[in-house]
Amino acid sequence: MYSEKATSIKALEKAAKKLVEQFPGQRIFAFYGKMGAGKTTFIQAICKVLGSTDNVISPTFALINEYKSAEQHSIFHFDFYRIESMEEAFDLGYEDYFFSGEYCLIEWPEKIEPLLPENYVEVKIEAQENENRIITARTV
Amino acid sequence: MTEIKKRGITILGIESSCDDTSAAIIRDGVILSNVVAGQKVHEEYGGVVPELASRAHQQNIIPVVDLALKRAGISKEEVSAVAFTRGPGLLGSLLVGTSFAKGFSLAAGIPLIEVNHLRGHVLALFIKEKDTKFNPPRFPFLCLLVSGGNSQIIKVHDYLHMEVIGQTIDDAAGEAFDKCAKVMGLPYPGGPHVDRLAKEGNPHRFEFSKPRISGLDYSFSGLKTNFLYFLRDNIKENNNFIEENKNDLCASLQHTIIEILLNKLKRAAKETGIKEIALAGGVSANSGLRSALKNEAEKRGWHLVIPKFEYTMDNAAMIAITGYYKYLNNEFAAQNIVPFARTQL
Repeated sequence: MYSEKATSIKALEKAAKKLVEQFPGQRIFAFYGKMGAGKTTFIQAICKVLGSTDNVISPTFALINEYKSAEQHSIFHFDFYRIESMEEAFDLGYEDYFFSGEYCLIEWPEKIEPLLPENYVEVKIEAQENENRIITARTV
Repeated sequence: MTEIKKRGITILGIESSCDDTSAAIIRDGVILSNVVAGQKVHEEYGGVVPELASRAHQQNIIPVVDLALKRAGISKEEVSAVAFTRGPGLLGSLLVGTSFAKGFSLAAGIPLIEVNHLRGHVLALFIKEKDTKFNPPRFPFLCLLVSGGNSQIIKVHDYLHMEVIGQTIDDAAGEAFDKCAKVMGLPYPGGPHVDRLAKEGNPHRFEFSKPRISGLDYSFSGLKTNFLYFLRDNIKENNNFIEENKNDLCASLQHTIIEILLNKLKRAAKETGIKEIALAGGVSANSGLRSALKNEAEKRGWHLVIPKFEYTMDNAAMIAITGYYKYLNNEFAAQNIVPFARTQL
């Protein structure tokens, strides 16, 4: 069981490193957390761990951002916040990405849960009253 | 029929990078038509056109191009070159426009021109309209590009040379509008609603946090979180806090976003010594941003250019005008060109 407490951006980077190391074979990560919980910020830290030097920004508008890792592998960053039905995920051609064997980091997976592959990592980010973040993860 | 006269350079522009499918015709820099798939196409072609993504683009592309040609009053034989959005955007969506443009270019025996969507937003400032005074920015100028997906300061050297000198490191300005609006229970996209309610509110009633980011880069993620927690804490005390303060909340939020945008723009103007300033992207529709920029321009002696709203949203006219300038410079693409998804200028 992965459980980390992040009290600073630095601690978040440590938590990102641990996450990548703890699930080396996994490529699909679904990030659960309320708006403002820090999903994009955590994903920024993960991309850094994967060696990406790209500008990692919120894909809420673009739906999918693509970055390159240190080994020039693609990293796909999804945000299903603004989609209204699963039909729209089909229209996006989600399967091309989910089954690409590349990292898929997914924000707002609630919207498309039935489309997630059989085996993925569920990451939960919870903001506490004092603004610390509790991050837990497990394979589903 | 008489033979087609050579009337100058006619560009067909195709845009399919995100939600909307669009086609436009530009002749010698003057707009002849600009069609964006939406209600109008529904009406003229009947049937439902889904809003999102590649399958919808496939249904839209032919009717949209057909309509653009019709409205321009030209035949497809008169098109000199076809320009298309190569990226950034959704790959599946881009492929539809790219493939169509390749097919059209091959069939008509005319050149193919690839266009970067972000550059298109900037060059939208150079779209001429018949019977309207043309007031383009002069080179070099600074362009503040603000939309749902982007917040950038671009230094534009000429039509084909530009560089990003500042950009968001997390959320875009438009996203800050939309997400904060959502928390207040306003419909998506919330930007226009915030703008409307802000007019009735006090922009100095509430203070929200502004980012401390070095250089010319932007950040809006912290403001979003700050706004969210502010509401959460106040709702604990008063369940009707949002309802009772909606106008002031919108006005204060909008004021903060505009201040963040303008502070870096002012800094960029100062650092580069450039007084030619232009606005681009969908958020330029925001009336608060427009008037704040106008005030700033007056105070600082900037020459300010704000494009017509129609050309600030995703549209093919901006792709066609970019295609026009690339045509003049003989910048053509080969048939084996592929789209790209990553954000780059």
